[in-house]
Amino acid sequence: MTAVISPIALLNATNGKLEEAELWDAITEKQLGDWEAEWIPELFKAIQKLHRAGVERVHWPQSRHWNWRQKTRALQGMLAHPGFSIVCNGTTQGMMIVDITTHRCRVESQKGKDLVYVEYVENAPWNRPELADPPLYRGIGSILIRAAIALSIEEEFKGRIGLHALPQSNGFYANTCGMTDLGIDASYHGLRYFEMTPEQAESFIAKGN
Amino acid sequence: MKIEISKDWCLKMASLEGDTEIGAGVTAADPLFDGEAETQNVGEDEPSIAFGRFVRLMRRNKGLTLEELAEQADIDVAELVEIEDDVRHKAELRSVYQLANYFQVPRGNLMQVAGLTTPKNDNLIHEAVRFAARSEPVAALSQAERAALEAFVTVLSERD
Repeated sequence: MTAVISPIALLNATNGKLEEAELWDAITEKQLGDWEAEWIPELFKAIQKLHRAGVERVHWPQSRHWNWRQKTRALQGMLAHPGFSIVCNGTTQGMMIVDITTHRCRVESQKGKDLVYVEYVENAPWNRPELADPPLYRGIGSILIRAAIALSIEEEFKGRIGLHALPQSNGFYANTCGMTDLGIDASYHGLRYFEMTPEQAESFIAKGN
Repeated sequence: MKIEISKDWCLKMASLEGDTEIGAGVTAADPLFDGEAETQNVGEDEPSIAFGRFVRLMRRNKGLTLEELAEQADIDVAELVEIEDDVRHKAELRSVYQLANYFQVPRGNLMQVAGLTTPKNDNLIHEAVRFAARSEPVAALSQAERAALEAFVTVLSERD
């Protein structure tokens, strides 16, 4: 798969400098390769560290009763979907997969309208505050959401997007992104569902201008 | 699609975003690493002969015992025994990672050979099979091997 690459920048939190990075409009085998060879061992080490430090499991990152092989397969199954990835320093730093066909708006003012549903967003373990102190790169979530909005506009969905946030990420989607919190979705693993209206998309972009 | 995002926007949003988690969608949840997860997966029954053989020959090439390799690579000796001797044993991710570091071979390739990731490189898998076939020992037993074998046969032959 050939990806169109847009130049972006990430903030290196360890030295406070902006670093040139790339926004790819796809998730390719490279991303999956990085996930398997770079992310997973880092994640394993970080969780092992928590375990050795005697941190109770309830304080570990959000996890699910599946193993990493199952997760690899889940990701492979999503490869055909449209997605975006961020590459910096030769390595994948964040990934997002979206669905532009099967989901519709739930928020009252937009009910039933098309939207870009964000199926999956993940940050590399070394960029995650729960696992790395300090996290290496900042800004990945905002750039991926900006990409989802851009895709929504291109699809003539006017910037409407929706997603189910993992519990630790509720604050990012509610506060930084300014999305509407539609509460816990019992039909989707008990995760909270958030939606962004065209006005909220505009406000989100304006925050960084 | 090309997306125009200025560096200033990236910087401002990175500051606003700070150190917050961004995971969304259930696929983003971390897998468990404590052995509680279900492991019934397609393809897990496929033996990884080449991996065990590779580890054994690398270890012998370095003149290490199982215990010594386990200690130096920081993996569990019981896991190492299984890796070398049980072709259906699926090695722990961490063990493969540690062994790749210790033997200084690419992690991704070793994970493929160990059957932990979907093979992407047909040639690598073909070579792994060739390696497994060619490395089958044909030499006569050494004195130490014969002694160990005889001792074990003696124990096996004992009746209750």
